[in-house]
Amino acid sequence: MVAITEMTNWAVDLIDVHKIYGKTVHALKGVNIQVGRGDIFGLLGPNGAGKTTLVKIMMTAVRPTRALGTVLGRPLGHRGKLARVGYLPENHRFPPYLTGGQLLDYYAALAKVPRARRRANAERWLNRVGMRDWASTRIDKYSKGMMQRLGIAQALMNDPELVVLDEPTDGLDPMGRRDVRQLLLELRQEGKTVFLNSHLLSELEMVCNRVAILVDGLVARQGTLSELTERSLEYRITFHGGADAIAGKLQSLGAVVEVGGLRLAGGDLKKLNEAIDLLRTHGLLIDRVQPQRFSLEDVLVEVLGKSPPVASPITASPVMRSE
Amino acid sequence: MQFWALLVDSFRESRDRKIFWVMLILSVVGAGAMACVAFEPGKINLLFGMWEYDVARFTGPGGVLRSDLITTLVVEWLMDTLLGWIGVLLAIIATAGFIPAMMERGAIEVLVSKPIARWRLFLSKYLSAMVFILIQAAVFVLLTFLVAGLCWRTWLPAYLLAIPLVVALYSYVYCVAVLVAVFSRSTIAAVLVTLGAWVAFAGVQNLDDAFILFPDWQKQRTLYQIVHGARWVVPKTQDITYLAKKWTRAAYGTELVPTPDEEGRHLLDKAEAVEAERKAIPAYQSIGSSLLFEAALVLVAMWRFSRQDF
Repeated sequence: MVAITEMTNWAVDLIDVHKIYGKTVHALKGVNIQVGRGDIFGLLGPNGAGKTTLVKIMMTAVRPTRALGTVLGRPLGHRGKLARVGYLPENHRFPPYLTGGQLLDYYAALAKVPRARRRANAERWLNRVGMRDWASTRIDKYSKGMMQRLGIAQALMNDPELVVLDEPTDGLDPMGRRDVRQLLLELRQEGKTVFLNSHLLSELEMVCNRVAILVDGLVARQGTLSELTERSLEYRITFHGGADAIAGKLQSLGAVVEVGGLRLAGGDLKKLNEAIDLLRTHGLLIDRVQPQRFSLEDVLVEVLGKSPPVASPITASPVMRSE
Repeated sequence: MQFWALLVDSFRESRDRKIFWVMLILSVVGAGAMACVAFEPGKINLLFGMWEYDVARFTGPGGVLRSDLITTLVVEWLMDTLLGWIGVLLAIIATAGFIPAMMERGAIEVLVSKPIARWRLFLSKYLSAMVFILIQAAVFVLLTFLVAGLCWRTWLPAYLLAIPLVVALYSYVYCVAVLVAVFSRSTIAAVLVTLGAWVAFAGVQNLDDAFILFPDWQKQRTLYQIVHGARWVVPKTQDITYLAKKWTRAAYGTELVPTPDEEGRHLLDKAEAVEAERKAIPAYQSIGSSLLFEAALVLVAMWRFSRQDF
């Protein structure tokens, strides 16, 4: 049963979403997810977690057993809002007898895009995804990557406010994946909201500002990337010389002293500087001060209760994520 | 806009299937073959003399068979055999895959994510199939209509009724394909079950006719009531071709007047009894009850499609 909630400012506001297939398969057990307007939101989780089911509920392809929530301010199940949503499912199949141009026109017409705008949008998005020269070719001649590019263009033909992409870089080469990431950032700059479902955690880290981890039908973690990985932040200082004489003082700051270095957990800059001062005061030559943070994969592994994660040096550009 | 887009898509899908072109070619070939028929004193000449049929027993020696009578005979064969059986069979094979193709995994998710109500999506695809058969039937009927007029000098406006009648006949059977397709998502299952249902519909009608031909059978009251009741429920596929013949003959005031022997007379009496029984049922009852059956199946299919998880 779906109930109408009050209008919200969230692009996606899912509350207590349940889905039971048949009588025994409880795919979603009370999912709560909020996606702000203008966010690039990533949904990740292991196989069978319920990610695709959740996305399909948003897109009305699946009826929830019980749910409250809205998408673009309209209740779940409201079909009218779909005119403002673009969607590309995983393993999509398009009619093979259509050309690229015909396919875009067809789906845009179903999305109620006026004819004149369909032509202009088709040209725009075919150019943008690098498929302009293939517009008159039947899509049964396309490669998997070309089909994926066309699928993304199809999802954007109605100038959606919310773009839902399930494995958008599937089948794309590295340059293609880079292009898609760039496209997603452009969409965000235009004020669109992007909802991504992907197994490629490194790619989610590069573009998403908020993520949710779905495990066994429930949200295990949700928040900005910083929130999810903040507690894992630690500083590693490598130096030359022995620190036995000041080991006690370093430990009182919370540092773990090792041979030729130390690890200081947490993001407390005051303690970091005190530790550096201590080392320098005692004539130790500091070689490197390096922040380290868990990756998204590390967080996922931890959530799944697998082997303890190991913090990795921070390598992603902080400019690509804003919180 | 949405319905038009679905219609155009269905047309493109049909055009991509070889059977669409096979049916068009058959229509042209059929009309061409008809154009090769000539009427000469005492005989019908086919394919420029390759085959001859003696019609003297109908006309007397040297007489020419009335062209409208001949035309009626040929037209009835066209409507009954070509359109009514072969044409509908080919149409079922050509269109049974429309719904399963739409419901394929990966394809249906994109469609139902568009702002179109599921019942509209379903109905649009269903009606697209009707348009497909309408085009095929119209091409064949119009071509043969023109051949009859231009080559045989006999214009048969009533023959054009075959177009809506064939579409109606097709729809009686296609509703089964649609229902099976929604539940199974299988083209093969849809075709096989539909053909079986078609045979069953005809079987019920024939069995009911048999009770008239052999009145003694009516002593088995329960069986007779079941069969007679079933005849009212199932689509009257054979009534369609019967109606087509009836209206065509009525348009020309012609009736076949054979001169059968004693055994032939006996059989003719029985056939006339069956025909009298059929004439007693108004056309609107026959067509109306068949359309009700069709509507029921389509509604069930539409309900299922609307509530299904994809």
